[in-house]
Amino acid sequence: MATNSIKLLAPDVHRGLAELVSKRLGVQLTDTVLKRDPTGEVSFSIGESVRDQDIFIITQIGSGIVNDRVLELLIMINASKTASARRVTAIIPNFPYARQDRKDKSRAPITAKLMADMLTTAGCDHVITMDLHASQIQGFFDVPVDNLYAEPSVVRYIKENVNYKESIIISPDAGGAKRAATLADRLDLNFALIHKERARANEVSRMVLVGDVTDKICIIVDDMADTCGTLAKAAEILLENQAKSVIAIVTHGVLSGKAIQNINNSKLDRVVCTNTVPFEEKMKDCPKLDVIDISSVLAESIRRLHNGESISYLFKHYPL
Amino acid sequence: MGSNNIVVFGGGSHPQLVNMICENLGVKPAHVELGKFSNGETSISVHESVREKDVYVIQSGCGHVNDNFMELLILLSACKTASASRVTAVMPYFCYSRQPDIPYTAKGAPLVSKQKENVSFQSSSNGGQAFTLMTHKPGEETLLKANDSGLRQFNNVGSSTNLIKSTSFSRIPMIPGGKEQGSSKTDAGELFNAQNSGYKLWVAQAGTLIANLLTTSGADHVITMDLHDPQFQGFFDIPVDNLYCKPIAQSYIQHHIPNYKEAVIVSPDAGGAKRATSIADSLKLSFALIHKERRSQLLKGPPSTTLTSGNTLPVTAPLITPFSSREMSSSTSTSKYVQTTMLVGDVKNKVCILVDDLVDTSYTITRAAKLLKDQGATKVYALVTHGIFSGDALIKIQQSAIDKLIVSNSVPQKETVEFLGKHRVDVLDVSRVLAEAIRRIHNGESISMLFEHGW
Repeated sequence: MATNSIKLLAPDVHRGLAELVSKRLGVQLTDTVLKRDPTGEVSFSIGESVRDQDIFIITQIGSGIVNDRVLELLIMINASKTASARRVTAIIPNFPYARQDRKDKSRAPITAKLMADMLTTAGCDHVITMDLHASQIQGFFDVPVDNLYAEPSVVRYIKENVNYKESIIISPDAGGAKRAATLADRLDLNFALIHKERARANEVSRMVLVGDVTDKICIIVDDMADTCGTLAKAAEILLENQAKSVIAIVTHGVLSGKAIQNINNSKLDRVVCTNTVPFEEKMKDCPKLDVIDISSVLAESIRRLHNGESISYLFKHYPL
Repeated sequence: MGSNNIVVFGGGSHPQLVNMICENLGVKPAHVELGKFSNGETSISVHESVREKDVYVIQSGCGHVNDNFMELLILLSACKTASASRVTAVMPYFCYSRQPDIPYTAKGAPLVSKQKENVSFQSSSNGGQAFTLMTHKPGEETLLKANDSGLRQFNNVGSSTNLIKSTSFSRIPMIPGGKEQGSSKTDAGELFNAQNSGYKLWVAQAGTLIANLLTTSGADHVITMDLHDPQFQGFFDIPVDNLYCKPIAQSYIQHHIPNYKEAVIVSPDAGGAKRATSIADSLKLSFALIHKERRSQLLKGPPSTTLTSGNTLPVTAPLITPFSSREMSSSTSTSKYVQTTMLVGDVKNKVCILVDDLVDTSYTITRAAKLLKDQGATKVYALVTHGIFSGDALIKIQQSAIDKLIVSNSVPQKETVEFLGKHRVDVLDVSRVLAEAIRRIHNGESISMLFEHGW
């Protein structure tokens, strides 16, 4: 095989993450033109030859206009593939529709599966994502999926920014218990769990705390923060139970709807999200937000994938 | 399969059309809840059993295209996974069927450069519009193929080192002697075409992708109308029924245009010539064509156009009227192009019926109307299947020489009627054709009759 090189592609909006990755890798973003006509139809062109190259498309899918981003991504993948790229890897840190991963009622769509099929149909050869809502989604794909973990980055953040010896890790729901427990193990901390009964999506009802949080700094860990109603409620319950302070660390800070309002009004000290989702603008309105940069993890995984090296190192360690 | 097996779902794009189709079919639209999660993801819940049913999902490619398209895909997939025996996507207007061969701006002018750049390669204020070719697709038969075939190539018309970063894309092969990129140092990375001299711009064609996505989501059959490219059908692995608006349009012409036998059918561009001639043929009307082109000034005058449309319609000696609006390309370029709009055919003192399948920015059609009026047409009708009317299209039409707009309801036209007033717009109802197609497909009958006679 002739040598080929990495080409980084990114849509024209939310390029922040892609630029960080590009800086880290020392690879320039490939020039592309993405045009939308007034109805929203997308046309896309790549500014240089990608024949036989190793393409990585980095996209940040945030809240609001998910479908536009998805279609853009699919068109970009398809464009690269039809332009004879050797391999097209989609880097979708925040996998869209990840929560619709099962048929929870009659005739409910399994949109996560549809997303997987669509990516494959578009010509995607490899998917890199981060902290999938359910890791089983990997099984929906016919192509390899690397599900990276934000955990090493989170561990680093906690060690550097929080007096973690006095902390306790909290899982805001039973589903996230495993994630929280692993993190607690890594940091050698205690662990508590909030059990909630959810009536409908994006709505929270009754919550019960399991574990002792007296005089501790509570670190709530979750994979996704949407309207932040859960986090705010959880903070209240923790403080009612004599916690010292509460911070939340979530991988995907979608922060949709009234999230900013909820955070500002809540008793949370800080909400820390990784930059899988673009939320820079929201930080102006909310001084409590903080960012963990995961671009180096993505950059390293791109490098390793391109060179055919193992990625599993990144599951446990933060790249240097 | 009995008729009780039919289930019709409507997407959120055009509920009115869904209701009309259902009325024609004598069924009720099935109950489905469409919405969005707070993070912007589409949420769908189907409240009716579809097990072993023949499901039709109606969604037009209008409004917010990507949202509606995703909604359609999710709905199709939900029905398929809920054990529907067959799932048919009904897309009166098929989105992404028209992929421009060059990225274009809202005004319809192709634009090849990043948004932040100032793309003014023409000094005249109106210049950016000179290069409209949205509806002009390769692969379609054109009357002036000979002229056209050579014009497909993209070229960089020189950008000299300084100030105006002009990337203009002409469809005319570069004149020999036209300089290659003046310098390779024009802000590397900004102008990729200049940067990679030799790399011709290449635009993704989403057609196959859209087709495959529909198949992937579980569609077994697609019904659509007046596809911009008939070749689009070939992109699918599943049957696609492309219905025509033509019979409805014809009956409108016959019944609502006074003295229609004296009228002239006009195609606003070469790409639509075939569509227009077929209406002209079946109504036995005469036909005219508006042809846009840019040519180098080095060539003197328009070439001798040979009009061999391949059909029986005799075209009398072509009256070629060059309308050189003298829109120059950038002065830095060595070769100069003139945009010429030619009318082929005689429209003097005649009623003209402009026929097009799709109007989006309305740039082409309003310009065509003006040209026709300038050439002495008494009245200009515009007959359009899919009226997307994005941006300021409606304002342009209001101010244009179009006396009456006739548009189908494949895309909601409420706004159009409200904006232009009832006297200036007539809406053709396609729900009966679509309903009849659904009924026939459901019963396994032939639908080819609908192509000719409408319903």
